[in-house]
Parts: sequence; C-alpha cells; structure tokens
Amino acid sequence: MALPLEVRGLSTTLFTRRGEMKAVDGLSLSVGAGETVALVGESGCGKSLSALSIMRLLPDPPARLVGGEVKLNGRDIVTLTEEAMLDIRGQEIGMIFQDPMSSLNPVATVEKQIVEVLRTHTDLGRAAARERARELLELVGMPDAGRRLDAYPHQLSGGMCQRVMIAMAIACSPSVLIADEPTTALDVTVQAQVLALLKKLQTDAGMAMIFITHDLGVVAETADRVVVMYAGRKVEEASVDDLFDAPLHPYTAGLIGATPTPGAARAARLADIPGMVPPLNALPAGCAFAPRCPRVMERCRRERPELSRPTPGRLVACFAAEKDFAPKDGA
Amino acid sequence: MERFAIVGRFARNRGALVGALLILVVALAALLAPLFFPIDPLRIVGAPELWPGEDPAFPLGTDSLGRDMLAMIVHGARATLLIGLFASAVATVIGVSVGATAGYFGGWIDEGLMRAAELFQTIPNLIFVLTIVVILGSTLSNIVIAIGIVSWTSIARMTRAEFLALRDREFVQACRSMGMGDLKIIVAEILPNALPPVIVLSSLVVAGAILFESAVSFLGLGDPNVASWGRLVGDGRQLIRSSWYISAIPGVAIMITVLCLNLIGDGLNDALNPKLRDR
Amino acid sequence: MAGVIASSSRRVAALRLLRRRLFQAVPLMLGVVVINFILIHLAPGSFLELMTAENQVSDPATVELLRKAYGLADPIWLQLLKYIWALLHFDFGFSYRQNMPVIEAITINLPATLLLMISSIALALAVGVAAGVVASVKVRTFWDTLVSVAAMFFFAAPSFWLGIMMIVLFAVKLGWLPVGGMMTIGGAGGGVASVLDILAHLLLPTLALGLFYAAIYARVLRSSMLEVSQLDFVRTARAKGLSRNKVTLSHVLRNALLPVVTILGVQMGTVLAGSVVIESVFSWPGVGSLLFDSVSSRNYPVVLGIMVLGTLVVICANIAVDLVYMWLDPRIEIR
Repeated sequence: MALPLEVRGLSTTLFTRRGEMKAVDGLSLSVGAGETVALVGESGCGKSLSALSIMRLLPDPPARLVGGEVKLNGRDIVTLTEEAMLDIRGQEIGMIFQDPMSSLNPVATVEKQIVEVLRTHTDLGRAAARERARELLELVGMPDAGRRLDAYPHQLSGGMCQRVMIAMAIACSPSVLIADEPTTALDVTVQAQVLALLKKLQTDAGMAMIFITHDLGVVAETADRVVVMYAGRKVEEASVDDLFDAPLHPYTAGLIGATPTPGAARAARLADIPGMVPPLNALPAGCAFAPRCPRVMERCRRERPELSRPTPGRLVACFAAEKDFAPKDGA
Repeated sequence: MERFAIVGRFARNRGALVGALLILVVALAALLAPLFFPIDPLRIVGAPELWPGEDPAFPLGTDSLGRDMLAMIVHGARATLLIGLFASAVATVIGVSVGATAGYFGGWIDEGLMRAAELFQTIPNLIFVLTIVVILGSTLSNIVIAIGIVSWTSIARMTRAEFLALRDREFVQACRSMGMGDLKIIVAEILPNALPPVIVLSSLVVAGAILFESAVSFLGLGDPNVASWGRLVGDGRQLIRSSWYISAIPGVAIMITVLCLNLIGDGLNDALNPKLRDR
Repeated sequence: MAGVIASSSRRVAALRLLRRRLFQAVPLMLGVVVINFILIHLAPGSFLELMTAENQVSDPATVELLRKAYGLADPIWLQLLKYIWALLHFDFGFSYRQNMPVIEAITINLPATLLLMISSIALALAVGVAAGVVASVKVRTFWDTLVSVAAMFFFAAPSFWLGIMMIVLFAVKLGWLPVGGMMTIGGAGGGVASVLDILAHLLLPTLALGLFYAAIYARVLRSSMLEVSQLDFVRTARAKGLSRNKVTLSHVLRNALLPVVTILGVQMGTVLAGSVVIESVFSWPGVGSLLFDSVSSRNYPVVLGIMVLGTLVVICANIAVDLVYMWLDPRIEIR
C-alpha cells in the first residue's frame, strides 16, 4: 500500500527583484500512517515553505514550485489543477499554523469557521454541521464547547484558538496533518496540552503528521523520525532516538547542544551555533553550513556534500560525517 | 542626502511628475495671463456662441455674449488657484494650531479641541460655507475664510497625531529640562519634525478647496468681480442645448487641475512614506 | 477572559453605543446652534434686518412685534438661551416666502433629499465595492489600471459639472432620461408607473453625486483588500479548501470593508452638502433646492434652520453607520 505522503525532489524557488533563490532545494521525505516526522531547523531554512509547497499554497509571487513530486496516498498532486487541489486541502491534508490568534478570521464566529470546512467537503446540512462542529470542539478538549460555537476569536485565549484551528484541520478526517510550529506562540503550560492533544488525535485516527518546529525539545516528545533542514536542503534524517543519541551532522549536533535538555541546570551554557543562516541569495559555493561549521574541511568549501547512508535508516549530507564512517584502509 | 532621496522617489513616480508639470503650466498661465490676454477677459470681443475651432482667433470659442473662452479660462486659472492656495493656507494655519495645541498639552484641552473638530466635521461643509457667505457677504476673503474653516479638521487630526508621537521624545525632554518655553518647543522643535505629512495633506486640501470654490461660484454665490472656473460652468448652464461646450471647457480645466493636485499629493505621500509603496 | 458573548449581549452593547452616541450628540448640536448665533451677530446690519430682509417688513408695528418676539432688548446671553430654547421646540421662525413655519418648509423637502442621499450612497457602495474588489483581485492588470484611472477622474471631476455633462449626453442628445425634476408633470398616473418615473428622474442625480464617493470607496477598498489578503487567516481559509473566490468574498472582503464603512461615516456631512449642488443642477425638489432658493432670496431663518437640521441628519446617519460598523466588527467593545 502506498504511504500517505511521499515527497520527492521538492524544489521551490523565490523569484525576487534581487534574483532567484532556492528556498527549498530537492527535499524528499515520506510519512507513514500514524507516523510523525519532525521537520527541524532554524527559521528561514525552508520548513514552512516546504509545507506550503505540499499544500500548493505558496505566496506567488514570489514563491513558485519548480520541481519534484508530492504523492498523496500514491497520487501525485503537484500536477493537479487548482480546482482539484480544493478537494485535497482541508479534506485529505489538514494544516495548523503558528499563530492561532491571527490564523482565525476575526469577524467570524468559531461555528462559522468550522462549519465552513464541513460544508465545503461533506454533504452535512446546516444543523448537522453545527452539531458536528460542537462534537469536534469537544474532541479537541474545548471547555464549554456548545457555547464557544458563538464566540469570536478575540474572546478566546491563544490555546483555545489553537484548539479551534485543530478542530478545523481534522474536521474531515484527513490522512495527512501538517502542523507548522503549532505551539510556538503559546504559553509553556498550554504548549504541553496542545502537544498531547495532537499526539492523541493522531494516534486515534492513524494520521500521518508532519510536525514543523525549531524546538528540539518538542521533537523529542512528539516525533518518530526527524528531518533536519539547512538553507533549503535536508542535511540529516534519522529516527528520533538515533538523532538524539548520536547526531551525525555538525549542524544537528549544534541544534541539540542549543536545546536545554529537560532537567539540565538552567545555568549550563548553551552550545550556541556561531554565526547566522546565510541569506539564500548568498549561499557559499560548497556546503552551506561550512562558514559556521566547527568541523569544516578544505573540501567543504569547494564541494557540496550529497546525502549518504552511513548506517541503515540514517541519512546525512556531510563530508566530515562520511569520513567518520569510512572503512579504515589498512595502514 | 535624505532630502535628495525624497525628490528622487517623487520624480520616479510618473503620475506625480506629470501632475507637477501640468500644474506648473496652469500656474504659469495664471501668472502670465495679463501678458497673453492683456484686455479684460470679460469684454465682448466676437460673435456669441462660436464653437471651439470655428474661428481661429478664438481657439476655445466664445460664450453666450461673445467673450473669448480661452482668455476667460486663463484668467480664471488665476482666481481658482489663488483661492485654492489661500483657503488651504487658512485651513493649514487653523489645523496646525489646533492640532499642535491638542497634541502637545493633551488632557482636557485635547478633549475640547477634538470635540470642536468633530463639530466642524459633522456640519455639512458646503451648507456651512454657503451660510457664512450669504450672511457675511460674497467677498473673496469671506469665501476663502469659509472654505478654510470647513477644511481644517483632517490637518488638525494629523498634526495632533504627530505631536502625540513626538512630544515625549528625548530631544523634546532635553529642551524642557533646559527650561525652554512651551511655545518655543512647539514651534521650533516639534513642528519642523511633524510637518512633512501635514504638507501632503495641505496639498490635498488645495484640491478640495478648488472643488469647494467652484461649487460656490457655480451656484452664483461667488465674488461677482471674479470669473473663476466654477462660475464659467454656471454661466454656460443655460445654453446646454445649443452650446454645451461653454460649460464643458471650464469643467475640464477644474478636473485637470484637481487631478494633478491629487497626483502630486499621492506622489508626495509615497515619497515621504517609502514603506507603504510596495503594497 | 470575558467568556462567551452571545447575540443578546451584543444587542446590549449596541444599545450602550446608541446611548453614548446620543449623549455625545448634545454638545455637537449645541455647538452648531452657538455657531449659528455667532454668525447672526457677526452679520452686517441688525438681526432684525436680517430676519426680515427677505420680505421687507417696514410696518413699524410689525417690526416692534418682531423685536419683542426675538427678545432683542435682552442681554446677549439671554438671547442665546432663548434661541436655544426656541430651537429645542423646533421653532426656527417663520418663512414668509413659503408662508409656513421654517421647520415645515424644511421637513416637506427633506424626504426628496434623503432619497437622493440614500440612493447615491447605495450606488457609491455598489460601484465602489465592485470596482475595488475587481482591482484588488486583478491587481497590476489592465482591469486594475482601468479602475485606478476611472477613480482618479471621478475623484477630480466636480459633481455639478459631471451632472451637466450627463444631462447633455443622456437627456439632451440621446433623450433617454429626463433633464430634471422628480416627476413628470401631469405624467404617469400612480402605481408602478410613477415609481418608475421617479426612478428615471433619480438616476442621473444619483450618478452625479454617487460616482465621486464610488471613486473613493474603490481606492480605499482596493488597498485594504490587498492588505487583508496578506493576513494569516486568509491562508487558513485557503488551507481549508475554499476556492479563491469564496475566500475573497467571504473572508477578505468582509474584513476589508471596515475602513470603507469608517469613511462612509466621516463623509455623511459631505454627501448631504453635495446633494445641495446636485439638487440645484437637476431641479430636484429637496432641501438643497430650498437652501439655494433661500440663499438667493436672503431668507436667513430657513438657511440657519437647514444648517441645524442638516447637522442633526448627519449625526443620525453617523449613529446608523456606527451601528453597522459594530455589526460588522465584533471586536468593538463599548466601554
């Protein structure tokens, strides 16, 4: 059986006045049913644009999908017409965004916004859709769901708004759920609740989930597999245990070092990654991470490392990591 | 440097540039009217109701009495532009004074002045102008003042907002700690910084004032000694069945002038707020 | 967290808004009355001459009677109080020209003006919103340019001139529509025919007055649509699988209309004032024509009465617009 989501060679370019920039460059990933794949990296590395590319919701101009395929349950949706995409969005792929407060229409009631999804993709009548909306709010743990239907977003807290967003995203039982930094804008206590809710909903429905975040602490709790992105490219992929046990890419190592491990003393100095993500229109010739890399070699500045498979189930694009795993010739 | 950048941005805006050039032409025509048409434009010089082009001596034709339309338009530019400029000046002086006082002092002064602005925004403006003009007399100065009185509220609001933003800045506090008086701080320190957006608005008020004046004159309530464009439209009104061009031509002149002033206002706005341009 | 506000409490909020606006209207009306009073006293010549200029009262007994009636012997503050007291009773004096109280002369003309105002605003909203939506959806195309250029022209064209030009084209040259007035004299006898007759007379003045505002709304709506369409919730709506048109009309437009409504409220006074000129162009039998007639005949009580009542109409219209705004934007909370 085909996987719920298989992305191959996804490439998205920004066409701007200052030239073309490859925001997503040949990204491949696949997500199985009931599996959570975390897409990780600093901001500006192409995570969100990857998600919008899959949804075909890129802000055009400037962004445009220039290559690759996105197979949804075995069917390539990159070639679909815009009209056919309307049936995919909200029905087969649900999406949750970063800032729940601004992601809801301020002048429409919660009911109207949930019912809209239902009426677009199902044959439910007005009353039945309202009833289903109430059930969905209960499902996402909204307190006093019946009365919240008549509320406007500004009358709800950020956590409640995100619950409404989740209710809308799962309303039509999609096979794929994309969550783009769903907890970043929330208070720490609410973050944990929302994460637990997402995890539970996903397990119950067997959804494939792409979880985009820059917070590796969250990754450890939610994800099965992790894809690390840097400057539009995948630089490492591994199961969550392997990744945290032994990060292969110096960038991943830096990210993990930069994440305070739960329980660690607050005073412990974070192992920051020096420097900044290079602007997309000024990427270095070789490895994009080379200028910031502690293990940089001469070769890294000339050549760009391709993804290699040092051990089964792991991928990394780094010359230094390749050297670690290279069979030692008899010396 | 910054000033040159503003001029450059303005010049790059094609609409604004065309507007500025055309206004320059109109202003020159107004200035040089006595040179080109030395005789009184209201004198009868030819046969009545000559259509434009009918007689090469009168490129824009003649009106119902046989007066040269072109001469009247060129002389009318004078009256129209001057009234527009002076009315806008009156509105700017009132608006800046009220807005600066309200924004700088705040509290009940602010509350009271803004209520007054609300009042002047609520009274139907043209009715107010007509009432002032009819009670105090249809003189040029009364018309200018009346238009100024109904046009200052937007300038006052803008000035107030600028003053509210600027009054607590470091340089103002520094002046205060040096013991500088309120009036001096308002005029010499804050006002120059608050002025750019106010100037944009003033240029738009000129356009509005010209429309006001033309309506007053069209209704026959303008200064009887001044042949502004609005009055020419009104004069031609009786003859629309036979010679509609008499009304049409001065109306086109008003429209082009107002259009150009609006283009200039937009251009200035874009030049002063480059952030808004990429929308 | 305030919790859920149901529709009933929104009604309460609307009533609270209404009460506050009515409360704020009092100083505004008082202000207009004081301005009127000042104007009268600034006028060259005596108050009595002003009030009687129109019908040349010369009979000394009548003059004395009027002097008493207007209380001109009183100190000025008492005169003001009496003036306010009279206006509170809608006593604006007597118009000899119409041979009826001023208030009556104005109120019989008011419906025609309100009809013109409302139809012009309706036209301006319909045309302006349609044009603004088209321009923003087809941004940087031929259609966008067309709307911008048309808006620029109608924004700059004097309404009275536009009216005359339309009379020339549609009434004189083509003969499709009547030149002026509100009804065909001795024409269409009752029922649907007279309604159609009035509509035919209404069309040109409505266009002449409304297109200026349509131009403003189109410009404002275009930029606010472009702004709103960048907001996060629009992307959410698209992610739900709604078509572009559905998103534009039910999410973007709904939010983008708010600034248009604000401007509509601010410009109510201008619309009423604009109808004065248009009524004169089209001989529309409304307050504007009455004002023009009164101004020309120096019938001051009517002129001043129109200013006070005109302000009252604008205040009421503003309150109506505020209520509409509140209905459109649930975020408005009344303190």
